Amino acid sequence: MKLLVVEDDRTVGQYIKRGLEEVQYIVEWVADGSEALEMISVTTYDLVILDLRLPGMTGLEVLRTLRDRGHTMPVLMLTAQDSVEFKVDALRAGADDYVTKPFAFEELLARIEALSRRPRQISSRVLTVADLELDMATREVHRGDQSIELTPKEYTVLEYLMRHQGRVMSRTLITEYAWDYHFDPGTNIVDVVINRLRKKVDAGFGQKLLHTVRGIGYVVKG
Amino acid sequence: MQGVRQRLTLSYTVALALSLLVFGALLYVERRTSAAREREEQLGARLLAEGDLIRKVIEETGRSLPRVVLVQPGISNPADSTYELIPDVRRFFDGMQDFLFVMDPAGRLLYVSFEAANLDPEALSRVKQALLRQPITRREGRLQLDEDGEPFRFLIDTIGGGTAREVRSFLVAARPEGPGMAPNQLVLSMLVVAPFVLFASAMLGYWMAGRALAPLDLIVREVEAIQDGRSLHRRLAVPTEDDEFRRLGVTLNAMLGRVERSFQALRRFTADASHELKTPLMVLRAGVERSLTHPEAPDEVIDTLDETLRQINGMTEMVTNLLTLARSDEGRSSLVVAETDLVPLMSEAAETAEILGEPQGVTVSVALPELPLIAMVEGGRIRQLLLNLVTNAIKYTPRGGEVLLTLATEGDQAVLSVRDTGIGIAPGDVDHVFERFWQADPARTRSGDRPGTGLGLAIVQWVVDAHGGSIAVQSRPGRGSTFTVTLPLGTTPIA
Repeated sequence: MKLLVVEDDRTVGQYIKRGLEEVQYIVEWVADGSEALEMISVTTYDLVILDLRLPGMTGLEVLRTLRDRGHTMPVLMLTAQDSVEFKVDALRAGADDYVTKPFAFEELLARIEALSRRPRQISSRVLTVADLELDMATREVHRGDQSIELTPKEYTVLEYLMRHQGRVMSRTLITEYAWDYHFDPGTNIVDVVINRLRKKVDAGFGQKLLHTVRGIGYVVKG
Repeated sequence: MQGVRQRLTLSYTVALALSLLVFGALLYVERRTSAAREREEQLGARLLAEGDLIRKVIEETGRSLPRVVLVQPGISNPADSTYELIPDVRRFFDGMQDFLFVMDPAGRLLYVSFEAANLDPEALSRVKQALLRQPITRREGRLQLDEDGEPFRFLIDTIGGGTAREVRSFLVAARPEGPGMAPNQLVLSMLVVAPFVLFASAMLGYWMAGRALAPLDLIVREVEAIQDGRSLHRRLAVPTEDDEFRRLGVTLNAMLGRVERSFQALRRFTADASHELKTPLMVLRAGVERSLTHPEAPDEVIDTLDETLRQINGMTEMVTNLLTLARSDEGRSSLVVAETDLVPLMSEAAETAEILGEPQGVTVSVALPELPLIAMVEGGRIRQLLLNLVTNAIKYTPRGGEVLLTLATEGDQAVLSVRDTGIGIAPGDVDHVFERFWQADPARTRSGDRPGTGLGLAIVQWVVDAHGGSIAVQSRPGRGSTFTVTLPLGTTPIA
């Protein structure tokens, strides 16, 4: 799957490109609207990520031109503006969705997956760590032959850790995934969820799967 | 507007009534003095005419007849003889309307008119004395003839020599009449007419005041129609006549122009600030997130980066909230509503509250409807509202306390409430909790908690307003607080 990222800020552009490449997308990045239109005219992209504010042609102008020329691929707009007028303008001009800056990479990824209507780059919808299984379709969790009942937040946190198994996820990353970046209750809410998960997932089993990493975060590994 | 009109009419009417009163009083006094003067003049003229007539009658009679005095000798003593005017003259004098006294050279009263006969002896002697004085010529004067009443005016004349030597002098007197009726009638007429005049002019005044204030009324209505940033481009219709209202209209239009320019500047700032503040935050975030998720990042680096990310998130939240509130001040909204089930939002808030409450020893219960409760709202905003409310509830509830969340429908409204058994809000603070950057007394918050941005409840208020709902707070210090949010279910949001 081939994506074009049109973003004038180099850091953000590179961040999106590398992040998407890590999950096996083919990504090209340009910083300029007219350059983007040139590339679209010669290459077929499955999806375009388009920043609203670009030097020269604005994102909306690029979007209109692109639709006028008959390109129908999904377009995801990036914007710093959180206003109804912008959203309406963008959707009228033919955008399929928008993400407001600054966004967490997970959020961008979720929107891209929704737009491309294809499952994540994971062969199975079931995440497995040792004998712990999490079915993302049915939201069922098993350890061995034992079924585990989780509350929505417990499920979300476990899914996030299992998706990044073997990697230490910080508290803030977990919080903003399970709630969102708007939410900072000022206490270590993740610790409570992890404690509960430990009781349900690890208690009674010889092998512990949920690990605390020196008070900075958590990791799930076998 | 109505007030000014009524006040104008009232002061106008009062001023008119006072003028009428002063005018009436002056007129009355003037009429009264001139009437008295006229009466005096008339009386003087009458006495003069009577005097002339009497003199003429006596002289004529003296010329044509041998005597004017009839003497009836006293039977025993000549000093008792009765002296009186001859009958013809007496009859003539009886026809006179005023008091008349006639005296002979010996000081005897020859004639006393009929009314004068009733005078008491003292008055009679005063008349005699007046007649006995040696007058050079005719004399006028005033004489008190009875105890009550005004003094009489009199005229004394002497008939010297000639044919009528038997009569020496006479006195004719009359009392000035009491105050004439004319001024009293004037007062009566004025009392009858004045209320009608006052009423008619009050009506006229009311109408004139209304007419004069009508342009102001129009200006007020036009200004009222300019509600927010969206209607600021409007201008008032300026009256064509060059008067105060035209100046007011022109001044207001100029002011509207300045307000509109500053609103536009604010709007540009809002758009620019979104970009100028959020793009660097995005760059920061991108770098931190990449490093944080790097597989080989050392623990110490992750620790630092995690706190950095948290600060970036806090800052992003603050910038977003400020921009949201700035936009709402402009009268523009950022809401995109859709049919949303409130039950999962409430249950997520309840679970969050429960997780937050666990280390604080606060129990959370929730009462939700069994069926989905669909409302036209922006789910993300309602979620933000609920999370803000439950975070506060947990934060201000001490160990062992309870938080209760309920969701229900009432008519065509959804009612969401968050109740706690916390420290409550001081009565004086209840009105301030929704103000931006307002913070409760730091001594009242639990130590160790991070202070909030002070925007949480301001955002809650905004979300509620933008959805056309309302929020109520009930609180008793030491007993707890209840925040009740009411949202319309299906209607189009107002904002």
